[in-house]
Amino acid sequence: MPKTSPGNGKSVTSRVAVTAAGVVSPLGFGLSETLDSLRAARDCITRVTRFSVAECRCNTAGQVPDDRLLKEQHDTNRPKRLHRTSHMMIRALTEALAQRPAFKPELTVIGTTSGGMSYGEDYYRSLCQNGNLRHSPTWVANYTAQKPVIDAQEAFGISAPCQVIANACASGTNAIGHAYECVRSGRYQRVLTGGYDALSELVFVGFDSLQASTAEKCRPFDRDRTGMVLGEGAAVVLLENLDVAREHGTPILAEIIGYGISTDNFHMTQPNPSGIGPRQAMERALQSSRLSADKVDYINAHGTATPFNDAAEGKAVSELFDRVPVSSTKSMMGHSLGAAGAIEAIICLLALQHQFLPPNINFRASDEGVDLNIVANDARPMTLRTVLSNSFGFGGTNASIVIQKFEA
Amino acid sequence: MSLAIAGMGWVTPLGNGVDPVWKQLLQGYEATATKISEQFSDRSYNAFRVPESTLTALAPHPRLRRASVISRFAAAAGLEALQTAGVKVDSQSAERIALVFAISNGGVIYTKRFYRDIVEAGAQSASPLLFPETVFNAPASHLAAILGITGTTYTLVGDSAVGLLAIKMADDLMANEALDYCLVVGAEEADWVLCDAYRRWRLLRLAPPIEPFNEKKRGMILSEGAGAVLLARDGPVVIERTHPGMCYRRRSEAAEVLKRILYDLGQMEIDFVISSANGTYIDRAECQALRQTIPDTVVYTPKPAMGESVGAAGLWQVIVGAQALRSGELPPLLHAGLTIPLRTSASRMPVPDAERAIVLSCGVNQQVAGLRLRQRSRPPMISGSIK
Repeated sequence: MPKTSPGNGKSVTSRVAVTAAGVVSPLGFGLSETLDSLRAARDCITRVTRFSVAECRCNTAGQVPDDRLLKEQHDTNRPKRLHRTSHMMIRALTEALAQRPAFKPELTVIGTTSGGMSYGEDYYRSLCQNGNLRHSPTWVANYTAQKPVIDAQEAFGISAPCQVIANACASGTNAIGHAYECVRSGRYQRVLTGGYDALSELVFVGFDSLQASTAEKCRPFDRDRTGMVLGEGAAVVLLENLDVAREHGTPILAEIIGYGISTDNFHMTQPNPSGIGPRQAMERALQSSRLSADKVDYINAHGTATPFNDAAEGKAVSELFDRVPVSSTKSMMGHSLGAAGAIEAIICLLALQHQFLPPNINFRASDEGVDLNIVANDARPMTLRTVLSNSFGFGGTNASIVIQKFEA
Repeated sequence: MSLAIAGMGWVTPLGNGVDPVWKQLLQGYEATATKISEQFSDRSYNAFRVPESTLTALAPHPRLRRASVISRFAAAAGLEALQTAGVKVDSQSAERIALVFAISNGGVIYTKRFYRDIVEAGAQSASPLLFPETVFNAPASHLAAILGITGTTYTLVGDSAVGLLAIKMADDLMANEALDYCLVVGAEEADWVLCDAYRRWRLLRLAPPIEPFNEKKRGMILSEGAGAVLLARDGPVVIERTHPGMCYRRRSEAAEVLKRILYDLGQMEIDFVISSANGTYIDRAECQALRQTIPDTVVYTPKPAMGESVGAAGLWQVIVGAQALRSGELPPLLHAGLTIPLRTSASRMPVPDAERAIVLSCGVNQQVAGLRLRQRSRPPMISGSIK
């Protein structure tokens, strides 16, 4: 019989190791470039060039450069039909599998919000404007949300079943959290997880129409914050039963030790101002990891820099934790939606591995209503053992994971 | 650990409610196709839509005032599943119920309207009211709010196998003893833009019927609606095994993947299979796989009667499978040719001693999944309930 934790009734059978990771984001291609950008507190937000933003309030985003992304397509002779999201996923998976070539997932759990949306836009725009629809079968077959992960698996001969979670901006953390629970329950030994999303006009204009995005710098938790900027990218982590991984001598990057999810039902696009949703997600993650709040050394916040989100998250964090260092790395790379939680999990891994606090750039002044210990503007060395990463999304979905440095 | 079906809900082009829809299927009715005109040309498509009379009969809810019909379908099916199981959600039980939502195209009507405004009139015309409804998890969010679910809510996106993948996810979630129930809902709405897209993908036929297992692969007709299954630890129809599913790389590999799943699920005597045949290349793959693994088993697909509802399809198949086990009868397979090399029936088929059924789902975007149902005992039929 599996043991049951008295706190939440969850059957606890297995520890869960992160054995490899790969990432593509505005911060860079791969773990090493990402680490460099974080340490240098690099602002990777640039003017949007993929579509017209002339009528938008916001005209910047964190972008993955196509020249570099697609150069690899030519080098490897991959099919031209693939969406750039697929290329990001392939790049991230290439990096992860280079660290752990023998990894064969039994299950893939991945987060996204819009997959290859820009192909859907190309198709619809051509229909509207009586344009050339010669490529429409390619656009239609490759715009679906699940296609990038299937393409990435195919590139490596993997045919694992794919559970593609679309829980808005919490998708990436939800995916890693659910994957973690699948391994922890003992039902699976190896799960591929992560998230992806690419910039698209529809989503960009959507956030602009809500006046959630800013014409200025993205300043999470700043008193004068005015909104978010979007981003894009892909990140994958390979999760394995820790005991089995150790038996095989597999290097372990870190351990995932807790996951919490909540639904706050307050509003489609706004969090409950009380912070109850984020608070419940963090409490459940702590409960699941059997840790008290004082054991958390750093929080990678959702921190979109919208007035409502940061206020609700800040309130929840300050109520649960006592001056724990907090940063939102979206200040450097933008909000990559379904990829955000996965990229931020990798940022947490890097922070644990290299013992530093990733910075929250563009920070000028504390919000008087929120008492937070912000890692302002520069990375800082710090002894870290346990970190928590938050993601919250439209529809009131909230997710938190707890990651710990692996100690043999 | 046992996983069972405690309640079900159904909104379809044949009406809503499990019992009324089931009766129509048994009587061999086919949904009426509705013509949908394309906006930019004089082309029109046929789709099986939820009738207006059914739509107006769905209970209103303030949360759904601005929501697209997909959310209304989902709410009606979800509420029926809870009601027939006699489960009420209150603040105590809200954390002990998970919601897993299966979707493929999502809120396509509002998404199209939102993007059309951008294309035709520029970004400044984009509606902040429409945008939140374009998000894949909008229907799940509305349903969670209506039910008061405060814990686990996931929206899974995929092709027409996503419904069974959602049940697999629910199975994994129910390994957590802190959960008593998992409500799995699949929903979809039809629109001309989807019809056009599937036509360009060479998967759609312009007018009914859907001819299952036909060599000519004339294509499918899209439909809309929702299906909901409330999973619990006990109940008369047990989900004996959920296969995690697989992905196939090329259409020509689909049969091989289906065979592997059928082989895994067919290790004991199977009385019938609820197939996902929809008039496309999938039919041939399923036919090959079935012939090579369980050739003598009766096969039925509900898609000729109700269309291809993509995100809702897997849930509809599970409801059909559970109803057939429960009632000891399979509906007539519509529009099937006489030369199909499978065991099918063009008339109602008694399966009085049926104990086990496989539900098989092969999607057009490379995903395949399956599960096995088992009838624990056959109690007398009670209207609307699976108790």
